[in-house]
Amino acid sequence: MDAPIDVADCLRRWKQGDESAAEELIVHLHPIISRIVRTHLPRRDHEDDVIQEILMKIFSRLHQYKGDAPMSHWVSRLALTTCLDRLRAQKIRPEVRWTDLTPEESTAFDAAWLGSTTPDATEAIHARDLVDKLLSTLSPSDRSLILLVDLEGRSLEEIAQSTGWGISKIKMRLFRVRAQLRKMIQNLEQSK
Amino acid sequence: MNTHNPAEDQKWHALLMRSTPTFAGEATPPFGFLTSTLARLKAEKRERDLLERIGLRALFSSLAVLVAVVGFSIGIQLQDRLDFDPAIKSLIMADDVPIS
Repeated sequence: MDAPIDVADCLRRWKQGDESAAEELIVHLHPIISRIVRTHLPRRDHEDDVIQEILMKIFSRLHQYKGDAPMSHWVSRLALTTCLDRLRAQKIRPEVRWTDLTPEESTAFDAAWLGSTTPDATEAIHARDLVDKLLSTLSPSDRSLILLVDLEGRSLEEIAQSTGWGISKIKMRLFRVRAQLRKMIQNLEQSK
Repeated sequence: MNTHNPAEDQKWHALLMRSTPTFAGEATPPFGFLTSTLARLKAEKRERDLLERIGLRALFSSLAVLVAVVGFSIGIQLQDRLDFDPAIKSLIMADDVPIS
């Protein structure tokens, strides 16, 4: 939820050269942007640089914000678009083989297979690196779609609203992405 | 063709769940982030203002040049219209007709 912040007032003050207004906005928006960047970009992508880039875009387009929807929605869309643009610039891996995994990632793969206990911070990072490797074989929009559904638990209607895609298109893409992920996991098992 | 295998789906979900903590966003900006962002913001604003000023100046000077050129051409055209044709002018001069 948005914390009470008078965006119009902040914008007016910022235009008058009041730095504290920009500071307030940055502190308010940082957690929203940080969550989106961490979800939709690989862990090793320069997170702070991306967040800063998104903030610059927000400030340069602040006059476009009409205030008819919560600011977090407008910011989220801008942040997601920036993440997708960044992903589009990266190369899509053709596949992931067992030999591509680090020993820690192989352990994370087996641990998930065994359904072992709650991971500690390091194990979570290794699991994340493996997730990033698997996701790097998907197109940017497919990658975001599967994370919106499986990680954030968004409904198809919510996704349709934010992406502008039809429900049937989303279902079809999800079906295709799941099949792709299954195939990748099968390949990893077989190439052990 | 892929056959549906729930075990792979379970594995994907288990892997994702194990990595969940790494997806959580930071509640507050890291140390130094605010300062560097504000500095970049100010620099960009300054640059934008400067470009705006340069752009406005360029626009006004080109408008002034355009007005001068249009004025000059209209002046020339009007002057040409007032002048007699050179042939007629020579006839007038030969007959010594006063030009009014």
